[in-house]
Amino acid sequence: MRRPAAIVVTVIGAAITTITSIVLLLFRFVLIPGQALDLSFFAVPASNGFILLFVSLMAAVIGSGLIADDLHSMAFTLYLSRPLSHADYLLAKAAILIPLVSMITIVPLVITPLVAALLGFFPWPIALEAMGLSTVVGLLLTLFFTSVTLFLSSLTRRRGIAAAGVFAVNFGLTIPASILADAIRNPALLYLSPWENYLAVVRTTFGQGGNVIDWPWSLTLLLVATVIAALVTYVRIKRVEVVAG
Amino acid sequence: MLVESTHLTKVFGDVRAVDDLSVSIPEGAIGLVGPNGAGKTTFLRLLLGLVRPTAGTAKVLDRNIEEGLPVRERIGYMPEHDCLIPEMTGVGLVTYMGRVSGLDAKTAISRAHDVLQFVGVEEERYRKIAEYSTGMKQKVKLAQAMVHDPELYIFDEPTTGLDPRGRTEMLDLVRTIAQSPGRNLLLSSHLLPDVETICKYVVILDGGHQIVAGKLSELLTGTSDRMRIDIRGDRDAFVRQLTEAGFEADARASAVHVTRRVGAEAAIFEAAKALGAEVRYMGKEIRSLEELFLDLVAQTETRGPECRSPSRPTRGERSPCSVAGNGPGRLWPRDSVAS
Repeated sequence: MRRPAAIVVTVIGAAITTITSIVLLLFRFVLIPGQALDLSFFAVPASNGFILLFVSLMAAVIGSGLIADDLHSMAFTLYLSRPLSHADYLLAKAAILIPLVSMITIVPLVITPLVAALLGFFPWPIALEAMGLSTVVGLLLTLFFTSVTLFLSSLTRRRGIAAAGVFAVNFGLTIPASILADAIRNPALLYLSPWENYLAVVRTTFGQGGNVIDWPWSLTLLLVATVIAALVTYVRIKRVEVVAG
Repeated sequence: MLVESTHLTKVFGDVRAVDDLSVSIPEGAIGLVGPNGAGKTTFLRLLLGLVRPTAGTAKVLDRNIEEGLPVRERIGYMPEHDCLIPEMTGVGLVTYMGRVSGLDAKTAISRAHDVLQFVGVEEERYRKIAEYSTGMKQKVKLAQAMVHDPELYIFDEPTTGLDPRGRTEMLDLVRTIAQSPGRNLLLSSHLLPDVETICKYVVILDGGHQIVAGKLSELLTGTSDRMRIDIRGDRDAFVRQLTEAGFEADARASAVHVTRRVGAEAAIFEAAKALGAEVRYMGKEIRSLEELFLDLVAQTETRGPECRSPSRPTRGERSPCSVAGNGPGRLWPRDSVAS
């Protein structure tokens, strides 16, 4: 977090995601004509593509080095020679990433309904419900990205490789899956994309139709991937023996 | 006891880095010496839980190493290799390590300043570690090991990469720590003079085996029935001459050793006179740690390849590589160590 790039990505990401969501709110009749002005409206800011972009950047800039840098600099030796368990170590790393990712995945989604209610565009009950649901779906995405990023970071001593892995998971799966699903008219391919799975959960959560894949499967995939990535990371870290050096 | 290991073994593939090591190490300043690849670093990492034993167990400060956290909170470890986080400042890293060791924020930062001042990193403490010289990095490594005021310091080759001045400074710091009451030191080094000047006890390893262990003063003094003779001249001929005269003599790394008995002194001078050699020292067998080490390693090498190979003795047998007998070869039994 001391790196300027990390601060820049966090601040710019949070600002742009929040501003674009509020712009959508202010110019809703022009930008998203036909969108119902009920709870389903808040699926739009929750589906903001800037979330994917900045979360990926954040995971790459900050998250990719969290474990890889320790392995590279051998600082891992210092940590493990202290009264610190492997689980403590991983929780500390997650505790760095979760608040930062939340600045993109939760904060803008909560601010948008708050602003909507303050400006009188939506009644408070709907806004409050939207804020609660936004927190839940944002948390789902936060945990998924945190877990997967730490997993990728634990695979290598080079943060660049881990960062490439982050982009591969986020864009390398999403873009080809979307293109192929359209080309061969098989929406099942969208299950390969974490982002598409997240969108399916978001649409269902806010009552917006249009899902081409089943949200329970999408939710299951995201949760299973989150848990498996966390468990594998823990096992990998637990098995690390400081041999080199 | 500071450390007690029982049949401790660590195998990496075909290599037995630590081989059936049973040793009791008393409290105080302890030197762990041996050539590169002797198993010193692996032994220390086993004690810290950084590597898991293939077999056997060990206790540190009366706690089993498998307990992990309660053991590590009492240890300050200074690794041999570079392990500092280059983006952090010296004071930032030491404070951080204090926090990781369980100190509260205020205490950690206060202790960090204290220990950095102690090791001599003062103005530079606010600079990034990436900009530090090797000597300063070594000092920061020392400071982070001290920040939580542990009972046991484990220093792995603390003078590695230092110039003579840096080495002297580091040894002075280590000596100060070793002399602090209630603090114990396990100093691993292949630089024998470093150990000799700081430690009171020594454990010598080679090929993953314990070669010998004991009080340094006793190991270096040897036995009263042996004499050391330093001569300038043909040592081999000198030894031959004494042997022909009926004395037990052998030439070791740097001196001739003769079993003391009536008439030995006269025979020595006669042999020297006959060969035109000059006796420069004759007296009690006192050696440097380096001489002791070279003698012991030479003895293990003559004992056959098993002492340097991955093979091991059957459990319960003594390693063939342990040097038994009188004087420097005396094995230090686990149950007879006086602290």
